[in-house]
Amino acid sequence: MSKRSLLSLFLLIIFVFVTMVVDVDLIGQNVFAAENTGDYAVNTIRLSGGDYGYPSPYAHYPRGPGGYKRNLIFDSLLEKSEDGLIPWLARDYQVINGGKDYLFTLRDDVVWHDGEPFTAEDVKFSFEYGLEHPLVWSDLSKDDIESVAIINDNQVLITAVSANCSLLSNIGNQRIIPEHIWKDVDVPKEYNEPAAVVGTGPYILTDYNKEHGTYRFDAFEDFWGPQQNIKTILFVPVSEAILAFEKGEIDLTDVSPDLLGRYESNPAYKIVQQPALWGYRLIINMKDVDVLKDKNVRQALVYAIDQQELIEKIERGAAVAGSAGILPPDHVYYNPDVKNYQYNPDKARELLQESGYTSLSFELKVPTQSVRMAELIKEQFARVGIEITIISADTKTHDSRINKNEYELAITGHGGWGGEPDYLIDRFAGEELTGTPSALGAVGYNNEQLNSLLIQQKEEFNSENRRKLLYQVQTILAEDVPEIPLYYTSGYSVYRPEKYDGWMFMYDHHSLSHSKLSYLERK
Amino acid sequence: MNIFLKFIRYISAFSLMGKISTFIIIFMIIIAVFAPLVSPYPPDKSSGPALSPPGSKHIMGTDDLGYDIWSQIAHGARVSLIIGIGTALLASFGGGIVGIIAGYKGGLLDKTIMRIIDIMIVLPDLPLIIILAAFLGPSLVNIIFVLTIFSWIRPARIVRSQILMLKEMDYINSAKTYGAGVMYLLKKHFLPEIFPIIAVNMIRLSSRAIVSEAGLSFLGLGDPASKSWGRIIHYATNFRGIYYTPFWKWWLLYPWLTLIILVLALAFLSQELEKVYSLRK
Repeated sequence: MSKRSLLSLFLLIIFVFVTMVVDVDLIGQNVFAAENTGDYAVNTIRLSGGDYGYPSPYAHYPRGPGGYKRNLIFDSLLEKSEDGLIPWLARDYQVINGGKDYLFTLRDDVVWHDGEPFTAEDVKFSFEYGLEHPLVWSDLSKDDIESVAIINDNQVLITAVSANCSLLSNIGNQRIIPEHIWKDVDVPKEYNEPAAVVGTGPYILTDYNKEHGTYRFDAFEDFWGPQQNIKTILFVPVSEAILAFEKGEIDLTDVSPDLLGRYESNPAYKIVQQPALWGYRLIINMKDVDVLKDKNVRQALVYAIDQQELIEKIERGAAVAGSAGILPPDHVYYNPDVKNYQYNPDKARELLQESGYTSLSFELKVPTQSVRMAELIKEQFARVGIEITIISADTKTHDSRINKNEYELAITGHGGWGGEPDYLIDRFAGEELTGTPSALGAVGYNNEQLNSLLIQQKEEFNSENRRKLLYQVQTILAEDVPEIPLYYTSGYSVYRPEKYDGWMFMYDHHSLSHSKLSYLERK
Repeated sequence: MNIFLKFIRYISAFSLMGKISTFIIIFMIIIAVFAPLVSPYPPDKSSGPALSPPGSKHIMGTDDLGYDIWSQIAHGARVSLIIGIGTALLASFGGGIVGIIAGYKGGLLDKTIMRIIDIMIVLPDLPLIIILAAFLGPSLVNIIFVLTIFSWIRPARIVRSQILMLKEMDYINSAKTYGAGVMYLLKKHFLPEIFPIIAVNMIRLSSRAIVSEAGLSFLGLGDPASKSWGRIIHYATNFRGIYYTPFWKWWLLYPWLTLIILVLALAFLSQELEKVYSLRK
């Protein structure tokens, strides 16, 4: 080929390429030009993405960003506001018969995303099907509910096996799924059709890309409830969050305390501190590791950890030290008087000596992003003569190791610390009460007195009495140390109020972008 | 003493760049060997306030846990050099042996080996290294192993072609007719010819291994317990919003500079050796 023809070929390629790009651009502009903001206050909000699974109730990954995307699509009978539960798909509810029966009066103006009307049958179905095939995220189990009865067209009566004061919240939080779609599905975990994301919620999933971790949610025009403030919510991949935020690629981000100065004095930004309801805990395998069955050793571990140093160095100060009674200080039932383990390496060494252990060594399993914390803990443990080997893995592998109890010591971080204190049952009495090994840690731990207190508090409807029982529960936990809460993060979020100012925290949750009400018009 | 003088004489033939590079590499080796002596603090214990800038107490400052950066770099030199030298040695000798066998034996064996080499060349190495490193789990030995798997091909090919060429030489043929065995030929004739090429290659391989290890550590696939340079960079870049704080000026800059300097020095040295070798020929 001559030089000349090479050159013309080259030019041709460039020309084709340029026209392609321009074409795409034009198409993109056309779409936006045709877009009508309508009644929406904001056209598009962009948030940081990442793959958290297909947001059907059976397919999402069991962590916050997955579960709360599901909640944009699927409604529940009750919803969580700043202060507590509010009526949602149920227009009204009554707790009768001492907490055994729950009567929900449903809205009658609700339609599914596919246009089918929402009925009491759907509610009954959701509970029956949803308990037969447990959702990825559900606060209920088959043993909680005795029956679900349709009283009339818009009333459903749910009868519990036994009275339990966290049931209202747990029932109210169960996702309602359409009967006409799911009734023919035998293996819901494998059902990933577009119909699997038909709900009654304010948003419709219009695009999902697993490889890129992107999601697009568009406002559902026939949504029964409050007007959506945002027409489109986009979850986009982000490599450097602060950069993306400052360039306007995302509209909300978490920001480290070191950077607060960039935004503090600028009225274009608003900084919010999150409630400390997302925490790290050091979990202890008391089943397979004999040494850890010794209470003195576990107490020595707590004394050996300098929580303040962890907070200062890992979170740059933006966290609250863990309470040995498990419930965090921001929890409604937090007991401030539990045994206080101030950092005390001497005491730790003393306790170890008392038990006759001079040199201990453990494996500490951590997710990769917590290796720094693990290094610090390793150093702290070394001061009292405990040797640590750090084993790290990506979050998903790490989570599954914990679920299979393949660890000696492990660090796990997650939200939900502000929820109904019944999570204490799952963590510390799971094996005894439900017969299934607790997937959440504290394996091999059993304390009869604690178990009976946990059952009592569950059935205690008087808030003051329940508080007393839960105070006792925390006292026992602080003494026994079945696990060690390290700290609860109280990081900062920053956003541009001019772009959108509707963000809110649910009363028991730490994240602005997770609340459904953050996207809806408030009175 | 004799070797030392020989070495000096060899070096004096280098250009200025080559001399500087040699000096840098020797300097790094000394730091690595004497890491505990040259670093004032342990690399894995906090020795001062977190994120303090370079000063008289910490010449390169400290990281987020209060670990001294200079101590980490000094100890990290060990990891980088062990991986560099380990991989280079294994790959060159492994590759060299494969090349000799293929070249000398010829026939079906040669064909098989060459096809395997062809396949290995086509395989994209970085993605595979990442997958293998993630699969085998993070440890120093695994990293060396994984890097070696993708590094023996070049020396094997070069050695094979050299052997093929040498095999046809008259003096080899006459040696053969006088009854020289394989081992004799190898020792007397082949190795002296091949060794300089392998040496040049080894330096190249080691610099590649050092960069790959830093890359793996940067991605979080290295040994979490080791203090390699890549790992310092990994933690620094994982610190939320580091570019908006002054911290990167020491926490990120120094390990990055050290890495660049070492890799550049290795590159110049291999270039130099090549030149000297071809001149001698």
